Amino acid sequence: MVNVMKGVLVECDPAMKQFLLHLDETLALGRKFILQDLDDTHLFISPDIVETLQARVDDLMDQLSIPVHDKGL
Amino acid sequence: MSESSKSKSSLNLNPSPTLQCKDLHEYLKSRSAQFLETLYNYPTICLAVYRELPELARHFVIRLLFVEQPVPQAVVTSWVSQTYAKEQAKSCEALSELSVWQEAPIPGGMPGWMLAQSFKKNLKVALLGGGRPWSMSSSLEPDGKARDVAFLDAYALERWECVLHYMVGSAQTEGISADAVRILLHAGLMTRDAEDGSAVITRAGFQFLLLSTAKQVWLFLQHYLHTAEKRSLSAAECLAFLYQLSFSTLGKDYSTEGMSNNMLVFLQHLREFGLVYQRKRKAGRFYPTRLALNITCVKESGPSVAPLETSPHHQGYIVVETNYRVYAYTQSNLQVALLGLFTELVYRFPNLVVGVLTRESVRQALRGGITAEQIIHYLEQHSHSQMLKSETGGIKSTSMLPPTVVDQIRLWESERNRFTYTEGVVYNQFLSQADFVVLRDYARQQGVLTWQNERSRTMVVRRAGHDDVRKFWKRYSKSS
Repeated sequence: MVNVMKGVLVECDPAMKQFLLHLDETLALGRKFILQDLDDTHLFISPDIVETLQARVDDLMDQLSIPVHDKGL
Repeated sequence: MSESSKSKSSLNLNPSPTLQCKDLHEYLKSRSAQFLETLYNYPTICLAVYRELPELARHFVIRLLFVEQPVPQAVVTSWVSQTYAKEQAKSCEALSELSVWQEAPIPGGMPGWMLAQSFKKNLKVALLGGGRPWSMSSSLEPDGKARDVAFLDAYALERWECVLHYMVGSAQTEGISADAVRILLHAGLMTRDAEDGSAVITRAGFQFLLLSTAKQVWLFLQHYLHTAEKRSLSAAECLAFLYQLSFSTLGKDYSTEGMSNNMLVFLQHLREFGLVYQRKRKAGRFYPTRLALNITCVKESGPSVAPLETSPHHQGYIVVETNYRVYAYTQSNLQVALLGLFTELVYRFPNLVVGVLTRESVRQALRGGITAEQIIHYLEQHSHSQMLKSETGGIKSTSMLPPTVVDQIRLWESERNRFTYTEGVVYNQFLSQADFVVLRDYARQQGVLTWQNERSRTMVVRRAGHDDVRKFWKRYSKSS
């Protein structure tokens, strides 16, 4: 007997994977979305969450970035 | 087998469309064999195709040109030493792809090669003469108002920039015909706005703007040819004429005599885009411009005529400083608009524009499908001569741009690519290791395996390969 699941394979660096695990645990996107934790750099997630996730990661990146230069207006 | 989750059939996971700029070879490859057959009736095309072939392929063509019967494939192979088998295979493939030669059986059952009849005949005409004259005749009395190269360059530039201007939506929108707009729309470089039906630029359009002029023209013409049939023009005839133009001399005038009505219509279109210059519609003569001569040098190593620069000064105008400031010494709205694609413009003076490369502005461009490489290339290509003199602070760099800026632009891009998403199907809970190995090896053999782990007996296959793997699994589990 083999179990089969459809979804999306995510490949990323270990740090980002931990971020995704965190999002999953805290239900930050409203529900759990990780179908299977494969290894340090791979996750298997449900396909309908991808867009929300992308937006969320973009947000994170925005928070992380500090303007490196002033506009000198 | 059970499926535990259902999902939408198509998901746009990695939206990164790249604009393909095919060269002549790739363009012809994508067309039908019949189209090629018609094309090879024009000596100019035969010569152009011949010039674009790999070196070995050119050699084969010349050796076969006067042979009237099929030559065994083994003989062709024996012309090249074993060391270069790879090059040889590539050349043979190119010749087959372009239907320059066809497979022909030889009495005795051996496979042989034979040059396509029309190609053979017309390449001979191109190389040796004979037949109808294919180069444009220029038995014209001297033009009373002859135009020099500088004038033609200026004219070509002005016309072509009109098209580009229209694309960036700057105020100067006159001077572009409905036909040109239709081509831009057809090419997917622009699209109709959903609300007011006005044409707006697309992602592909942004990328198009950063290409070199020769590439822009060629890409544009490819789409022109696609739509040519609708205007009751023959794409083959137009392409032949284009290549005829590319074999002409800059600064010389040619007669329109003997051209068919269709070609006269085509000539008017070329005139609109600045590929040819005519003083009057009925002048009876025309001057090909650099734009037309350069369609053959889409490849980077293009020979012959120096390319026409987009900048009217033939030199760079952009200064980039280490603090991400960009100074552009220009008056052209087009150049300002182009710069505005990826910088935040701060000041505008009569001959100078100041902008800043910010994370937001660059990301905006990246979202629009422009790559970091394209931005850097554009800045480099148009760097002010002053930039060449600037110190790089002891850091060796091949670029004249400040290394910090180049690196940062690349980082901004890679920051967006921290994830790769692949739609797939996971297989797990195998009962035995043997079952897992069999299925994994099958998937790997089919080239659809994306991830696997032997210890947890889990594997992921691409969505497209799922049906195939599932069928295999059913067959396998029944038989065992």
